[in-house]
Amino acid sequence: MPVLQVRESRINRTGIAGLIASFVLLIVAFAFVISGFAASQRASELVIETYDVKDMVSEVSRDIERAEAARRGYMLDPAPFRLRVFNESSSRLDPSIDQVRYLTAESPGQRARADRLKRLVAEHVARMRETIEMVRSGRAEEARRQFDITDDGRQLIEIRKLADAIEETGESELTERLAEVRGTVGWTQWLLIGVGLALVVASLGTMILLRRFTSDLLASRARLHLLNTNLEAVVTERTADLKRANDEIQRFAYIVSHDLRSPLVNVMGFTAELETANAALAALISRLDEEQPGLVDEAARLAANEDIPESLGFIRSSSEKMDRLINAILALSRQGRRVLTPERLDMNALLGNIVTGSLATLADERGSRITVEDRLPDLHHDRLAVEQIFQNLLENATKYTRPGVAGEVVVSGRREGSRAIFEVADNGRGIPPEDHERVFELFRRSGAQDQQGEGIGLAHVRSLAYRLGGTISLRSAVNEGATFIVDLPTAYDTEGDRP
Amino acid sequence: MNAHQPVNIVMIEDDEGHARLIEKNIRRAGISNRLRHFLDGTSALKFLLEDPEGPMRNGPALVLLDLNLPDMSGTDILARIKGDERLHRVPVVVLTTTDDKVEIQRCYDLGCNVYITKPVNYESFADAIRQLGLFLSVIQLPNGEGA
Repeated sequence: MPVLQVRESRINRTGIAGLIASFVLLIVAFAFVISGFAASQRASELVIETYDVKDMVSEVSRDIERAEAARRGYMLDPAPFRLRVFNESSSRLDPSIDQVRYLTAESPGQRARADRLKRLVAEHVARMRETIEMVRSGRAEEARRQFDITDDGRQLIEIRKLADAIEETGESELTERLAEVRGTVGWTQWLLIGVGLALVVASLGTMILLRRFTSDLLASRARLHLLNTNLEAVVTERTADLKRANDEIQRFAYIVSHDLRSPLVNVMGFTAELETANAALAALISRLDEEQPGLVDEAARLAANEDIPESLGFIRSSSEKMDRLINAILALSRQGRRVLTPERLDMNALLGNIVTGSLATLADERGSRITVEDRLPDLHHDRLAVEQIFQNLLENATKYTRPGVAGEVVVSGRREGSRAIFEVADNGRGIPPEDHERVFELFRRSGAQDQQGEGIGLAHVRSLAYRLGGTISLRSAVNEGATFIVDLPTAYDTEGDRP
Repeated sequence: MNAHQPVNIVMIEDDEGHARLIEKNIRRAGISNRLRHFLDGTSALKFLLEDPEGPMRNGPALVLLDLNLPDMSGTDILARIKGDERLHRVPVVVLTTTDDKVEIQRCYDLGCNVYITKPVNYESFADAIRQLGLFLSVIQLPNGEGA
C-alpha cells in the first residue's frame, strides 16, 4: 500500500520536526529564564551597591561631624579623650571615601563628586588638625581666632551638600538602572510567554499527529486481525468450493457414462439382431445356390457372407470397447463417490493376502515371484482403497515382464515422519521416460500393446492415492524394470473429504 | 394363473430401441400376453391408476420399469405403485442400465420385486429378458383389485 507508506513517512517527518521544534523552543525558553534571572541578580547587586555608597557617604558625614565636634570641644577644653575621638574619626575618613570612590567607579559623575569630596575632606581635616596642634602647643587663643576667621563652617556645609548630592545622585541613578533592568526583564517575559505559546502549539501539533498515527496503526492492526481470522473462513470456503466442484465432476462423469450406456445397449442389441437376420439371409442364399444355382448374383452373396458380417463385427468390437471405456469412467467416478472408512491396516498382512490370495494364480501363470519385505509401516486408511492400489501395481508388475526373464517383484516400505513410502519394484520391460507421466492418464498405455487392458489401472491408482492424501510416481528406464513409489500419509485425514 | 384374465404387461421405457429389444425377446421366450408400452412416466401412471383397461379395473398386471425417464424418476413411479392401496401387489420388475448399489437398494426398499440391470452385451441382455419371460410364464400373480 504505497499511499499509506507515503502518509506514514510524512507523519514521521512532521512528528520528528515537531519534536525538534519543541526541544529548540525549550532551550530558548531556558536561555530567556537564565537571562531574566541574571538581570534581576544584576538589579539586586545595583541596589546593594547604591546602598553601600549611601552608607559610606553618611558614615563619612557622621565622622566629619564628630571630628568637627571633637575639635571645637578641644579648643574650649583640651581634654585628651576629645583628641582621641578626633583622631579616631578623622582616621576613618580616608578609607571610607576611598571605598566610596571604588564603589562609584562605574559612574563618572559620582566618581568626580567623590574625588571632590575627598579633596574637601582632606583640606578640612588638615585645617582641623592645624587648630588642634595650636591648642596642644598652648596657643589656644590663636587657634580660636584662626577658627573664627576661617570659613570652616562654610566648607563643612559644602561637604554636607556634596555628600547629599552623592547620595541623591546614587538613588536617581539606581532608579534609572532599575527601570532599565525591569525593561529587559519585561521584554524577556514577553518573549518567554511567546516561546511558551509556541511550545504549546508545537506539542499539541505533535500530539495530534502522533495520535492520528497511533489510531491509524490501531486501525490497521484491527484490520490485520480481521484478515487473519477471516483467512481460515476463506480457506474453509474455498475448500468447500473445490469439493463442490469435484463432486460436480464426479456426478457429471457418472451421469454421462450412464447416459452413454443406454444408446450402446441399442447399438449392441440391434447389431445382434442384424447378425441373426443376416444369418438367416446367408442360409437362404446358400440354399438358393444349392437348389437354383445362378439365381443369386455375386454381389448379394458377397454382401450376405462377407460385407455384412465384417461390418457388424467392427460395430460390435467398437461398441464393446466403448462399453469398457464407459465402465472404466463409471468405476472411477464410483470410486470417487465412495465413502472412505479409515481403519488400522497391518500392511504386511494386507500385502501377504494379496500375494497369496487373489494374485497367486496370476503370478504363477506369468511366472513371476513376488517378495514382500518385512516390517512395512502400518497405515490408518481405507482398506479397499489401499488394497486396490497395491493389487493394481502388483498386477502390472507381473504383467509387463521382459521376454525370457522371470519376473521378480519386490515390495518395500519405510516411514518418513508422518508419511509412509512404499515401493513396488519389478525387473520387467520398463517404461521410457517420456511416458512416465502419461501412463497415469486414463486410457493411456506405454510400450508394445501386446497385453490386454484399457489403460485404466494406473489412472485408478493415482486417483486413489490422491484421495488418500498421497502421491504416486515412478522410476524406470526401458528394459531395466520399473519402480512405482507410493507416498501416503500414515493416517487418513478425514478433513477435506465428504462426511 | 387366471385363464380368464390374462396378465397385462406394462412396459415403461423411454428408449424405443430398448423397448423393441425387450419386446422381441419376451416374444421369443414364448410370452404372448398383451404388452402396453409407455414412453414416459406421466402417461404410464395415468394408465395404471385411471385407465379402464389398466390394472386397477382390469385384472392382474406386471410392470417393467426403467429408472431413467424423461419426466420423472422411475423410483417415483415405483413408490407410487407400491404406496397405492390397490396397486401395491402388482409385481414390478425394474429393468434399467443403472447398476449403482445404492440405487438397487433403494428400489428394493421401495418394494420392487426384481431388479435387472440391462447388460450392454446383447447376448446377456437377450438371455436375461428371455429368462424373465420364462419366469413370467410360471409365476402366479395376484388378481387385480377388480377381480
